[in-house]
Amino acid sequence: MKLSTLLLRLMLILAAAFVVLPLLWTLLNAFKTNADLLVSTPKLFFQPVWDNMSYVLNRRSVARALTNSLIICTSAVVLGAVLGIPAAYVIARFKNRLTAEAQFFVLSLRFLPPVAIAIPMLVIWLGLDLYDTRLSLIVTYLIVTTSITIWLSIPAFEGVSLHVEEAARVDGLGPYATFFRIALPIVRFQVFGAVAFSFVLVWNEFLLAMMLTTSKAKTLPIIASEMSQLGMNVPWGILNAAVVLLSLPPLILLGVMASGLNAAFSKKTDQG
Amino acid sequence: MRRRRSLPYVFLGPTLVILIVLALVPTIYAINISLQNRTLAQPQADYVWFANYIALFSDARFLNALWVSLKWEVVSVTATMLTGIALSIAMFEATGPRVRNILCVLFIIPVLLPRVCAAFVWKFSFHPLYGALTWPVRELTGSTPDILSTPLGALFAVAFVDVWQWGLFFAVIILKLLESLPPQPLEAARIDRATRWEVHRYVTLPMLKAPLISLLLVKAIESLRSFDLVYVMTRGGPGISTETLDMYAYSQGFIESGKISYASSMAVIMMVLTIVTFTFTWKRLNR
Repeated sequence: MKLSTLLLRLMLILAAAFVVLPLLWTLLNAFKTNADLLVSTPKLFFQPVWDNMSYVLNRRSVARALTNSLIICTSAVVLGAVLGIPAAYVIARFKNRLTAEAQFFVLSLRFLPPVAIAIPMLVIWLGLDLYDTRLSLIVTYLIVTTSITIWLSIPAFEGVSLHVEEAARVDGLGPYATFFRIALPIVRFQVFGAVAFSFVLVWNEFLLAMMLTTSKAKTLPIIASEMSQLGMNVPWGILNAAVVLLSLPPLILLGVMASGLNAAFSKKTDQG
Repeated sequence: MRRRRSLPYVFLGPTLVILIVLALVPTIYAINISLQNRTLAQPQADYVWFANYIALFSDARFLNALWVSLKWEVVSVTATMLTGIALSIAMFEATGPRVRNILCVLFIIPVLLPRVCAAFVWKFSFHPLYGALTWPVRELTGSTPDILSTPLGALFAVAFVDVWQWGLFFAVIILKLLESLPPQPLEAARIDRATRWEVHRYVTLPMLKAPLISLLLVKAIESLRSFDLVYVMTRGGPGISTETLDMYAYSQGFIESGKISYASSMAVIMMVLTIVTFTFTWKRLNR
């Protein structure tokens, strides 16, 4: 083996270690008591306790934030998908000046600084008496989920061969049936990926949720960040437990996606 | 034939209308509020027109935030691109398909984690007394290094977490781009006895120039959304040395004085700056 290959591999091992070790370490820390955690020399072996986890899981505020996060994110993502996927299909299929402008407009929504949305939205929701409600966050998040779903679904639909759709038309399918029964099933993996990514984005969203909620509609990231402010003694064990719980949904989605992708890839190689 | 024509309007029309309303209404509101002297405490407000904007440009903290944001953009974007390119080439050159797949999944994990979580994980690792990352230094020198308490250290620590999330993710994307290149030019270069370094320096990276610039732009846009990272890790500190524009707007509008109009004028300036810059760049690239 050449020396350069060895060096490149070392670099990759280092990068992989930087991903795996902090995450495993956080997982371990979630089961440590403060006495085991706050030591100068990090402890690898210790008596695991469930206290931190049960503290986090049994907090009323966490349960409520979890409900809020689930309802808000799911609604925003589903609405974003319903609005976004058909729109992406049109932008991908009908190439003209108008759809090109529409595509750029959707992209440019991502240029908007979140602060520039949060401040006026705060005033608007206060004025409508909807401040600190789930509805207000769902509507605000629609900007994020719809634009990301459209943006990531356009390349998927562009990849659908025109001949396939032509064949469907010859077989007597109308344009709507062509979309629902031909185009959509062909790109389902990629579109699901786009929708999943929009879920991750809003699940992790912090600034908008922070500025648009005070108590009732708080989401999980806000609660997690508040746990670091319980006085001067930061409860690191509890914090680690909260981090683990908050990170689970995106990681589960990644697991689902990765296995789905692997299935898709192996199918392709079987056929090839 | 009539039904055929209706699909684009039915599918695209309502979505566009909703998005335009959702984007335009807050924008108009933001501009409107920025021309008033509204505070969170009182709903009553008068128009002061451009007083907020004039005040901003003699506000040292605002100018500092502008400078910090610029530094942040340059540091985080450059570091992310370099990390992404280096790791993708390493995977391309030195791994088999199996290892490559595992690494790809691993490298996607950080970007999917909530930024609040990523920030906590690393903040604890950087902890001067108990952190795992500072442990070797404690053992060897006996000192307790507090990276987050020095202005430069804090900026680089936050940027490190950002690169941890985005640089590794970009490595996967750039690897897929490398894999999609036609093999002939690479083989030709190898026959000409080009070293690996030269193959990438003079053949593959120039071929990928356009997608790499797009990626750079995407990262520049995402770097604007670093509020959560900065908020959890440093709160803009020490002092105001990592206070970016959104951090300052937040503390003006919500924490310190509730000057929502003043904060809004900052948001409007940010909006104009980013939209003009990115629209210009994007249109130029795709021309």
